[in-house]
Amino acid sequence: MTARDFDMGLFHTTTRLVKEHDIRYDPENPVSCDDGLADEVWKAGLELFQEMGAYCINSSRVIKFSDSETRRSLGELRGEAEIGEGGEHRTITLRGVEDPRPPTIVCGGVIESNVPEGDMFVKLYQSIAQEPLIDGFYVGPPLLSSEGRLVRSGTPLEAHLGRSMATWVREATRRVGRPGMHFISACTPAVANIAAADPVDGLRRSDGIVATIMTELKTDYENLTKVTFSHDYGCVKHVYNGGMIGGWSGGPEGALIVAIANAIMAVAVYKIGVGSSYNALGYLRASSPNYSAFVTRPCLWGSSIGSQAISRNTRIINTAVAMTNAGPGTEMQFQEITAAQCAAIPCGREGLSQGARRFKVRPLLGSGLENRFWGELAYALAGVKRDHANAIAKTMLSKYEHKITKESDGGPQGYTFDEMYDLKTLTPKPQFLQVYESVKKELEDLGINFRY
Amino acid sequence: MHRLSDAVTSFDTEAAVAAAKEAVALKMNPVKAIEEGLAKGLREIGDKFENGELYLPHLIMGADALEAAVKVLEGGMGGGSLDSMSKGSVVIGTVEGDIHDLGFRIVASMLRANGFKVYDIGFNKKSVEFIEKAKEANADIIAVSSLMTTTMPFMKDLIEALQAAGLRDRFLVVVGGGPVTEGWSKEIGADGYGRDAAEAVRAATALMAKKRK
Repeated sequence: MTARDFDMGLFHTTTRLVKEHDIRYDPENPVSCDDGLADEVWKAGLELFQEMGAYCINSSRVIKFSDSETRRSLGELRGEAEIGEGGEHRTITLRGVEDPRPPTIVCGGVIESNVPEGDMFVKLYQSIAQEPLIDGFYVGPPLLSSEGRLVRSGTPLEAHLGRSMATWVREATRRVGRPGMHFISACTPAVANIAAADPVDGLRRSDGIVATIMTELKTDYENLTKVTFSHDYGCVKHVYNGGMIGGWSGGPEGALIVAIANAIMAVAVYKIGVGSSYNALGYLRASSPNYSAFVTRPCLWGSSIGSQAISRNTRIINTAVAMTNAGPGTEMQFQEITAAQCAAIPCGREGLSQGARRFKVRPLLGSGLENRFWGELAYALAGVKRDHANAIAKTMLSKYEHKITKESDGGPQGYTFDEMYDLKTLTPKPQFLQVYESVKKELEDLGINFRY
Repeated sequence: MHRLSDAVTSFDTEAAVAAAKEAVALKMNPVKAIEEGLAKGLREIGDKFENGELYLPHLIMGADALEAAVKVLEGGMGGGSLDSMSKGSVVIGTVEGDIHDLGFRIVASMLRANGFKVYDIGFNKKSVEFIEKAKEANADIIAVSSLMTTTMPFMKDLIEALQAAGLRDRFLVVVGGGPVTEGWSKEIGADGYGRDAAEAVRAATALMAKKRK
């Protein structure tokens, strides 16, 4: 089957299932409190996966599963994963909707920003690793260079870079006294992740490799190689997947059920029930203006229902991601993070992965400070009811939604790591701490109790 | 004209072909039939896509209806081609190592809606494949997309390959994609940059206007 036939088939099937299950986008309630809708979305996503299967773009083959095969794969899920080593060992367990227990994993990280190789990379990750609530982090390209050379995809330099990044991460965790800290390697080519595997100085078995489910319900040999290697090496699998509003799945409703079908594909094709693994259910918009849509109203709606659908119906460990439009050190980025987490933590996600980061690529656009907020807020939102989270999300949206424009390139670009931090002491500069404190105070006034 | 436009906006290839046959029978000016009928319909779809009312599959289905009808109009010219009457021709795809196909397909559809002849060569394409297709189609523009910083350097390689082959003056190069910025576009010596589909169309239109002066 051609990819295009698969894509168009998916569009028509998704459109039909949205109607049959009467799934309707509700912009007034970005955080849904509707249990029935969450269960209906789950059923629609399961039907979609069973009708369509998954598509491999290298072989042009559709991978189909019988009903019993899909259910057997779902039954393999243990709802538990082990990450990290020694004092940094963590057990990730399931949470439920409106669960008072705190998230069981908080991953930080900086991605989508290109970082210089070497010592500045180490310092940046050190600033994140020193945050006590951060359990691990997402590490991926893009780096500006490797050994001073521009890195091209698929070239031998990528394997070298994958290995180098892992050793720099280890150095960062060692410097802050947390050598056993977990990280997930998100290099696009499989070979770069494989090159990083080293039980001592690189990617350990308590670390993970990111495999992606491509839009929509698709995979390729690179991702399947990552999964196969993760099985053989015995490391953690982190699967990133999500529906794309505006793409092959249509509108917010279609993207939502595709997101569920993608998560089921992670179970059936990437076998996340075997070994330790955790998922990140994303939810994007194929926007024509080039800004991040993770934190826009329809995406929050999809994220909140998708979280609940998975939490109520599976033992998938599902974590949250937030790509923001505003950059680090700005009030708007904290507001976007808050809205994203309102649609995740009270809705049953087990924790956070990949960190909060700005969508746009600019060198050194990331720091420990937004990762600190990322962790502290996640703990504070545990036990918050969905209607309260909905009210907070709406307040946040009212503050930043109008700023996400094409003219503003999505929002303020923020400040670079070296602008925000004193690089000698690795502490945030006072003016940025002030912004962080003022947003926390504002959230306290909205009824959020920070424990940290 | 309305029938041509309506067939595209209702994603109905059969109706578009029937309306094109009727236009040929009525000896309608084919350029006018495209510009004021078919492409107008696709532009309407494009506007709705921009506003989030319609989605990528609609753009694709509308473009399919348009292309099927254009073939009929070309047939009505007695074996002639409408290529020379288009705003320009564009070879489009993603660079080597990049499998993100959604964005450039949106751009391709929007270019079609705005009167360009588009040759979609797909994703993960080497510089030589862009160049060979551009030579074969005698294209005006090579439009390249990249969604990863590690595939962006292949845009630079494409321009260098064109220079090495003595073809840099023959083809205009427009770049775009998630991490691609105007600064990068200038740094590598591209002719145009599109932050999004609408900007890519504007860049291509401006470049063609300049070329044809």
